[in-house]
Amino acid sequence: MSDPLGSTAALRRYLRDGLGLLARSALVGAALGAVLLLGLLATGESERAASTTAFALGALVFGFGTLSWSGSVLLGGSVESAQRFLDTNTDWTEADSRRAMARVAGAGLGAMLAVAVLGSVVAGL
Amino acid sequence: MVSKRFVVKRLLLLVPVLFGVASLVFAILHLAPGDPAKVIVGQRASTAQVQQVRTELGLNDPIWIQYVRFLGDAVVFDFGNSYQIARGTPVREVLVERLPVTIELALYGQVLGILFGIPLGILSAVKQDSITDHLTRVGALAGISVPIFWSGPLLILLFATSLGWLPTSGRIGTAFFLPDTWTLLGTELPLTGMVTVDTLLLGNWEAFVSAVQHLFLPAVVIGIYSMALLSRMMRSSMLEVVRQDYMRTARAKGQGAKITVLKHGLRNALIPVITVIGIQFGTLLGGAVLTETIFGIGGIGTMLVAAIGATDYPLVQGTVLTFALLFTLVNLGVDITYSYLDPRIQQ
Repeated sequence: MSDPLGSTAALRRYLRDGLGLLARSALVGAALGAVLLLGLLATGESERAASTTAFALGALVFGFGTLSWSGSVLLGGSVESAQRFLDTNTDWTEADSRRAMARVAGAGLGAMLAVAVLGSVVAGL
Repeated sequence: MVSKRFVVKRLLLLVPVLFGVASLVFAILHLAPGDPAKVIVGQRASTAQVQQVRTELGLNDPIWIQYVRFLGDAVVFDFGNSYQIARGTPVREVLVERLPVTIELALYGQVLGILFGIPLGILSAVKQDSITDHLTRVGALAGISVPIFWSGPLLILLFATSLGWLPTSGRIGTAFFLPDTWTLLGTELPLTGMVTVDTLLLGNWEAFVSAVQHLFLPAVVIGIYSMALLSRMMRSSMLEVVRQDYMRTARAKGQGAKITVLKHGLRNALIPVITVIGIQFGTLLGGAVLTETIFGIGGIGTMLVAAIGATDYPLVQGTVLTFALLFTLVNLGVDITYSYLDPRIQQ
């Protein structure tokens, strides 16, 4: 992939691709977050306890994704070099790992947003 | 020369790292069982009293409001007041008071590890398969295998109880009292909180000796693992380097064995070792928790464990984020150092 800081067009394409990937995974996460919240409510949990658990789980996934994304960016190059050096050929790449972790973070963020919105609606009823 | 772009990229990456850590800590604390309000008012308090404390602490707000408030406060490094462990003291003040104690301990442990681990590793590699090599390897293996909770009490038994050479616990002798400030050119400045540095700043030599005596055993206990790991790493790294063509060429051109190893070998063999030193710093901070407990040193580690037990959200969040910040900054320093040693890493 070309260097995103190489030109304005490359940066625009990089941001569009990245935001699209985040938005798609956030939608999936939002659906999962909503299902989790409604599921917890259905099991008899109070509105506060259910939204706290669902939101915290979303934050856990988001935190894990963000931290792992940074880890991929920081260490991915070194891991690729080590693989080349050791001739291991596992097909693991920094770009793949970064995208996967962005998806995880996006899903967590989506779940957090969905729980916040749905939780506010449920609390208002 | 280290490029600005490399440093800026590394600095920018600190933001998502800290953001991720903040989210993880917040999530784990809120998923863990226990109510901080109940810990504060006691188990016999009425529901109304518990609810009142929860409202005062903002724990009755929806969790997403608490999350946004926590992130906003964390940006300006304000974690609020400790609920229980530090009795309402601002977390920032607790960190300023306690963190230097833990950092001092971890730093001395690291220094001991580097001072002994790297030369032992070089010696072991240069004298491969000799008695020195075997002894160093066995020593390193023992150092990695021995846990702190075992080596700590054993060293206390030997050097403090049996031989009486060193004190058993504390940071400085009870005869010494350190003020809060020191004077430089007529200006009063706050002390660092690190006893060995403070006693030197105050020019109190006897107190400095006492502080070093008190710190010696804890630093050795915490440094043993670091020393063992670094010597193992240094040995394997150096063994790989001494077989390189450029080392043979240097020797063939008439350069002495010692100079070849120290001038050409050491710099290249140090690259992986320096990476480990950075990662080790986090382990040392974690190890400081046990060491502080064994040697009765009132650092942040023991306080963090107590804060987790008491679900003291602000103190746990503040301490863990500070640890994460320290760890990432040390690793940034490591990145810059090894990119200086091998400029290809910046590519």
